[in-house]
Amino acid sequence: MTMTERATALNTPPVPVPTAITEFFWEGVRSGELRILRCQACEYFVHYPRPLCNKCGSTDLAPERVSGRAIVYSYTWAVQAFHPYFKDRVPYNVAVVELVEQAGLRMTTNIVDCPPEALRTGMEVQVVFRQVGPELVLPLFRPAPVGTPVSASNEEKR
Amino acid sequence: MKGNDRVAAVGVGYSTTGRRTGLTSWQLAIQAATAALADAGMTAKDLDGVALLWGVAGPAPEGLDVVDPQDLGYMLGVEELNWYGTAGPSYIGPALQAVAAIKAGFCHTVLTLRIINQAVSAKDRMAGLTEPTPAAGDSQFTAPFGSVSPVQSVAALPARRHMDLFGTTEAQFGAHVVAQRHHASMNDDAIFRDPLTVDDYLAARYISTPVRVLDCDYPVDSASAVIFTSGERARNWQKKPVYVDSAAYSSVKYMTFENLDDFTQSSPFHAGRELWKRTDLRPEDVDCAQLYDGFTIIVFQWLEALGFCGLGESGPFVEAGHTRLGGRIPVNTDGGACNVGRRHGANFCIEAIRQLRGECGDRQVPGAEVAVWANATGPFSGAMLMTAS
Repeated sequence: MTMTERATALNTPPVPVPTAITEFFWEGVRSGELRILRCQACEYFVHYPRPLCNKCGSTDLAPERVSGRAIVYSYTWAVQAFHPYFKDRVPYNVAVVELVEQAGLRMTTNIVDCPPEALRTGMEVQVVFRQVGPELVLPLFRPAPVGTPVSASNEEKR
Repeated sequence: MKGNDRVAAVGVGYSTTGRRTGLTSWQLAIQAATAALADAGMTAKDLDGVALLWGVAGPAPEGLDVVDPQDLGYMLGVEELNWYGTAGPSYIGPALQAVAAIKAGFCHTVLTLRIINQAVSAKDRMAGLTEPTPAAGDSQFTAPFGSVSPVQSVAALPARRHMDLFGTTEAQFGAHVVAQRHHASMNDDAIFRDPLTVDDYLAARYISTPVRVLDCDYPVDSASAVIFTSGERARNWQKKPVYVDSAAYSSVKYMTFENLDDFTQSSPFHAGRELWKRTDLRPEDVDCAQLYDGFTIIVFQWLEALGFCGLGESGPFVEAGHTRLGGRIPVNTDGGACNVGRRHGANFCIEAIRQLRGECGDRQVPGAEVAVWANATGPFSGAMLMTAS
């Protein structure tokens, strides 16, 4: 192994391999837009991208730009690294956020610009696009209280 | 086609179990199969089916020997198999396939196995990653953000959600870890047998918050085997048969834990509802529950999913001592995979059978007649209810 190879491995997290059906998402991210596949027949957002709408069966789907506003559904602080990119970056957070456009419409991400103790389930966040590797931009989220009403999934507290 | 009304488990066995045993997958499989045949008092000639799942946790290193059910039948000396199968999840896959095939009448006696060859540690695997790693398929939406281990997607994210929705505490997770270690202290086969306290638990290191190292099953090389047979053949063998009362398999959505619709009510809840629809027994009839503990949160999910406590109530339920031997529903009486080593569910089937045979010595649940065991979680899982008569 050469030093160059090692450096490359440490400088990027796992790199998305887009397919014909997911390319729009990463293209959007590179141009600073969060786009989600939406059924043109019944208006249901289908994420992860699939060739048909699981609500109505239509194959007429198209990417649409969404607001990028979301609510933290759950999160964790990874303390042990399982990939060399994260070896010197622990503890780092992994969060699942729910986009405000639709109950249950979620993305895995990292919350940035947030003091560790402030990260909470139910927190309101906004998408931000950050370069994390030599050729990789990811959609991350930062705290952005906007007085958004909480979504259905976050109202299930008993 | 003529099927079979009942299915019984008549033989159980384990291979040598441990870290870096140096044994091949084939050696592990043959050891467990031989032990189960000996336990039943049968020879391979009495089998007409094999169902197994072979695997490693993580990608298999090149050259690692793979055990296939057709080959295994042949190698054991079964010249013609009436049934062979290989499907997950974990061990509940092969077990439910065997039960279904016997019920349908495709075969009468099936050897089932879960074989795990833990050839490479997580640390070694990480050291071997020297080039950018591709995140293909749905993992392109998870791995780039560092969700790269089941400890995050299967355990930490659902555990945090459970805590924030229901008020579950880390000390309550600890109460379970302490209780099942107490059970392990009465099991000669357990790898970890020293008692723990909740303070010991809270002092253990985090892997990914709120999941600690003591919440994770212990990776080992192991093979586990159970022989299922038709009701009419159940009494031909030397051990008291244990019967399958009902069983349920579940798949919800698709195989990405991070994108499940509900982190606190995934496939175990579906499997639980179906299990109770298929029997006249009720949760209060169950004498012990053997619930998959790949991670502690999964035990909590199954306690709720099977109706031993209400949704969100597993934390206080465990903390009150209801899952300890002598409690309302003793859970993981062998010590669980955190203490006996990773068997991906098979140890729970074997412990259920041993409890119903009355073979468990100090950890025996007195007069146990009904046991449930459950395996996997999230997008896929299953459960089986077994009875002593």
